[in-house]
Amino acid sequence: MQSVVEFDNVGLRYGTGAETLTDLSFTLYPGSFYFLTGASGAGKTSLLKLLYLAHRPSRGAIRMFGHDAITLPRDRLPGFRRRIGVVFQDFRLVQHLSTFDNIALPLRIAGILEKDLLSPVTEMLDWIGLTERADARPATLSGGEQQRVAIARAVIGRPEMLVADEPTGNVDPEMARRLLQLFEALNRLGTTVIVATHDIHLLQEIEGAQMMRLDKGRLSDPTGSLRHPPRPLVLKN
Amino acid sequence: MLLDFALPAHDRKLIPEGRLSGQTPWVIAIMLFLTLLVAAVGLSLFDAVQKGGEDLAQQATLQIIEPDPVARAAQKVEVSRILRDVAGIAEVNPVPDGDVRNLLKPWLGNDVIDTDIPVPALIDIRFKKAPDDATLNALKARAQKMAPKIRLDSHSSWMAPFFQLMASLIYLAVAIFILLLIATSAVVILAVRSTLNTHRATIEIMHMMGGTDLQAARLFQRRVALDALLGGVIGFGAAAGVILTLGGRIAAVEPGLLAGASLPVYGWVALAIIPLAVTGLAMLMARWTVVSALKKML
Repeated sequence: MQSVVEFDNVGLRYGTGAETLTDLSFTLYPGSFYFLTGASGAGKTSLLKLLYLAHRPSRGAIRMFGHDAITLPRDRLPGFRRRIGVVFQDFRLVQHLSTFDNIALPLRIAGILEKDLLSPVTEMLDWIGLTERADARPATLSGGEQQRVAIARAVIGRPEMLVADEPTGNVDPEMARRLLQLFEALNRLGTTVIVATHDIHLLQEIEGAQMMRLDKGRLSDPTGSLRHPPRPLVLKN
Repeated sequence: MLLDFALPAHDRKLIPEGRLSGQTPWVIAIMLFLTLLVAAVGLSLFDAVQKGGEDLAQQATLQIIEPDPVARAAQKVEVSRILRDVAGIAEVNPVPDGDVRNLLKPWLGNDVIDTDIPVPALIDIRFKKAPDDATLNALKARAQKMAPKIRLDSHSSWMAPFFQLMASLIYLAVAIFILLLIATSAVVILAVRSTLNTHRATIEIMHMMGGTDLQAARLFQRRVALDALLGGVIGFGAAAGVILTLGGRIAAVEPGLLAGASLPVYGWVALAIIPLAVTGLAMLMARWTVVSALKKML
């Protein structure tokens, strides 16, 4: 099975400081669901940044979608980034855009025509329960609502890989469950999902999900799943 | 470039366009006002020098400096007659003695002119085309057969220092024009950098979602183009008002050296093109600034 992401002995350091990530070697397969856990400062966000191509590693090799991501020319990065959906921990919504426009942003960047994006954005608004707030600016939304918008924006383009940093940190348990269902539905369609979280209860929500644990920048693999093909995923009732 | 300007409405919203609410259009308006004034001065001087230079190059004055007034008058008539028969001369105008005296009165006084000083007889000559030195020397030799004591002055030679001054002023205007364009470009770069910093988060998000540098640059190009265009319209309007007012004042001055100093039609066309050119330049500067800045991001 062709991998989505392959890390080989990857290290990342910021400036001249100590390595934030050290000797990361793992493979992520299409249609797999991964939880990334670890204490604060373990390097989860740094690893996610490598995954969504916001940084290049200090050493090692990364292959993404079958291509060498290290030597990838800068002008080819946008094409790769359009295949990745990102939910940022701090949401990063565009403050002067409405809920509708924030969710539609990835489609517009990808050049989707207005007539073709109305339906998916409306559907997504309905799914996250914010149809009534379609014209609202992020500043007028609650933290949970902003998080839902951020997630909707990340998934609307049906990315091949979804990277989410603490996506359920600001929502109630019911909404967290619904959002995970959304991730799972995407996963069923073939999207590789990587969710960084502190919430160990989430790990039990999706059966078959695999866990990556970071400890002081090093990856431990308690389930051993990273070395094996993924199992079919089943949402736990 | 024009296609970059015509962004869809939803893309325009990515960078809010606060038209005339910021300082940039006003600063550009002031810079363009000054640029257009300098350009107008340069173009007017250039036109005056071109017209005046051509005109003067076709003119010469022949002085008969015979001290005997009777002989001088006779020589004046004879030389004028000969000159009229010379091919290449369009007009021969003997200057009346009274006019010559009137010309000298302010410096020498009435009594001195009438009694003590022999005032030369003058003949203005207009050639069909600007004569070269050989033509002038041949003409002088021919005239000297009738009047040995003569002097022939080409107008272009005695006006040369004036035209050199005009040329220097034109070069100065061009230099100031270029400096103002550089300053305007610097204003645009600073404005774009400021806007880029203000909207860095939006640009980063666009980048993370697969937006290209040119997609981001187009947003800034449009905003800067609108600012430059608005500034250009204001600057052009103000400059045109000043130029028309000054033009009216200059036209009211007694004909002389300033008479030719008016903005020609091609000058107005050039002035109208400058704000458009500055808008294009601003768009290019915006694209270059944004793309350069974004290249520092991954």
